[in-house]
Amino acid sequence: MLALQRKLGVNRLAWAFLLPNLILFGLFAFLPVILNVFYAMTGGDNVLLADRPDVGARNFVTLLDCENYLDVNSCREDKFWRAVWNTVRFVILQVGFMVGFALLTAIILNRDIRARGFFRSVFFFPVLLSPVVVALIWKWILQREGVLNAFLDWTGAGGINWLVDAQWAFGWSVFISVWAHMGFYTLILLAGLQAIPRDVYEAALMDRANAWRTFRRITLPLLAPTMLVVLILALIKGVQTFDEVYAFTGGGPGTATTFIIQYIYEEGFAGAPRLFGLAAAASLLVAGVLVVLTLIQLRISRNNVDG
Amino acid sequence: MARVELKQVKKSYGSVEVIKGIDLDIQHGEFCVFVGPSGCGKSTLLRMISGLEPISDGDVAIDNEVVNDIAAADRGLAMVFQSYALYPHMSVRQNLSFGLENIGTSKAEIAEKIGQVSKMLQIDMLLDRKPKDLSGGQRQRVAIGRAVVREPRVFLFDEPLSNLDAELRVDMRGEITALHRRLGNTMIYVTHDQVEAMTMADKIAVLRLGELEQFGRPLDLYNRPRNIFVAGFIGSPKMNFIKGTVAEGGASITFDTGETMALPQSGFDYQPGQKVTLGIRPNHVSLVEGGSVSMSVKSVEQLGGESYIYGALKDGTLLTVHLSGQISAEIGEVLTIEGDADEVHLFDTESGLSLRHD
Ligand SMILES: Nc1ncnc2c1ncn2[C@@H]1O[C@H](COP(=O)(O)OP(=O)(O)OP(=O)(O)O)[C@@H](O)[C@H]1O
Ligand SMILES: [Mg+2]
Repeated sequence: MLALQRKLGVNRLAWAFLLPNLILFGLFAFLPVILNVFYAMTGGDNVLLADRPDVGARNFVTLLDCENYLDVNSCREDKFWRAVWNTVRFVILQVGFMVGFALLTAIILNRDIRARGFFRSVFFFPVLLSPVVVALIWKWILQREGVLNAFLDWTGAGGINWLVDAQWAFGWSVFISVWAHMGFYTLILLAGLQAIPRDVYEAALMDRANAWRTFRRITLPLLAPTMLVVLILALIKGVQTFDEVYAFTGGGPGTATTFIIQYIYEEGFAGAPRLFGLAAAASLLVAGVLVVLTLIQLRISRNNVDG
Repeated sequence: MARVELKQVKKSYGSVEVIKGIDLDIQHGEFCVFVGPSGCGKSTLLRMISGLEPISDGDVAIDNEVVNDIAAADRGLAMVFQSYALYPHMSVRQNLSFGLENIGTSKAEIAEKIGQVSKMLQIDMLLDRKPKDLSGGQRQRVAIGRAVVREPRVFLFDEPLSNLDAELRVDMRGEITALHRRLGNTMIYVTHDQVEAMTMADKIAVLRLGELEQFGRPLDLYNRPRNIFVAGFIGSPKMNFIKGTVAEGGASITFDTGETMALPQSGFDYQPGQKVTLGIRPNHVSLVEGGSVSMSVKSVEQLGGESYIYGALKDGTLLTVHLSGQISAEIGEVLTIEGDADEVHLFDTESGLSLRHD
């Protein structure tokens, strides 16, 4: 190794180590991003770029052409906007509930409760499941002849066809997505809670702070940086939601649970004709949103390191 | 008035008893220091008084009221932590005001109290800073200030100076004593540094392995230690201990080296043939030509105004001699020494207890 370093020099040796990764990254991440831009600027349903006519920004215009952005039906590509608004609603609810519950769970798990280790693994367990498994478990519970309805029938309350009702299907999508990912954020928040020194709490106790004031004035402010990171991470993940909901409801009933990634998938790959251009343009718009969120997240974590 | 009494206070973690039944009576306005080696239970005892640690057995009473079941917040005490435990996200001002806000003190009153206390502790120009922008000494002052603004009945300090450098520690020592004189509150102060204990305390409680070895005024502990442990712990440099047996007739002691020395004829109870340990402080040993005990020199420290000679007796017992002025001695040289018979301490070797009777 030392001989090699002497031959190549320290800098070139570093490049030699990075090269395999750079090639793989370039081939499977960077190149597709560039290609994506070209697809977004071309039309037709041919896969080969050479066969695709140049349409400039027309795909973006198609996507963004609305008389009134709040009224989906006034938009040229109403499916896109339905997916966008579904995603916005979904992300707000999912992130809100998830961070809220994760915080609550983390606080409880941070206490000296019995079988703490057991409960910590229980809450983390769903994170380990594949999204399709998550979807199938809940489908099995919620379908018309499912476990929940069987139970409701038995109590005499009577079943509901959960996945056929648009509101219920959307609500359950939020629920299973919270259920599946909450453990991850709980774990991060738990680490954040444990990083707050015990003697600060003891000082607050001696200072006669009651439980609520201790939470408001000590726990929350000291946990705020962790909370922000969790919030942004959850937002990014939320916007990307696809697989578990797709396997759960297929985006339905109607378009009730069709989110932006599913829209991209269906435009580009599932339907005919395959509108690669439109799908590529939509994915660039999503990428733009995600880049902004990621930059905010990076900025926050850097501030944390400095502070 | 705030008198703190401990009655047979015990603490166990699982099956391990770390505080083994301690009785203490700390009078109003006293500055009491808990001192002892690391792990002896000083912090645990202090935390039991504060209420942060529940008591396994016995009673803690403040002003004659048993407070075992009263929450830490309601005992009217304030604690200064070794780590300072300042609220890191709050400014100094907020650190000081938090405790007052919690009990609903009015804004005007809070401002006034913070003004007074911050001036007294010379932190008034730091009020808008965050703890991370303060030096160690400044943080310590803020931690003390946070305790003082609340006007507690009793102040509890857990090794508050151990994170400061030596010079600052001496300064802060003086400031805390001055604070005590000024406020007149009862203060309980934990340290493992016996010099701190000697210089600050009205009363010292020496702890070892969860037991109270002795409780009393600093000079009483120094002059009349109840056992070998206290004798060795209080005073710097450490007291010398030489083992031996009381000779026939009881007029002298025969050391394990075979050498002899006359024993004081009053003040102590001992029997001929009893195994005893003679204790003598380094400044009560002198170099005498033809002295009764010989010592070979191991090392010499010359400080200019005073000198320390470290040596070993024939059987290897280590001995320190503290002399004023400058003494020259060669390493390996054999010197003869004599102890001041009026200043010796005698302990039963087996029990370690002092043989002094009053
Ligand atoms: N939570 C606990 N569980 C079990 N043992 C404990 C616990 N806390 C303290 N101890 C034990 O109790 C004994 C006394 O501890 P304590 O912290 O009071 O010592 P200390 O005198 O303050 O020592 P130091 O000078 O090092 O601070 C130690 O032997 C320690 O190991
Ligand atoms: Mg301690």
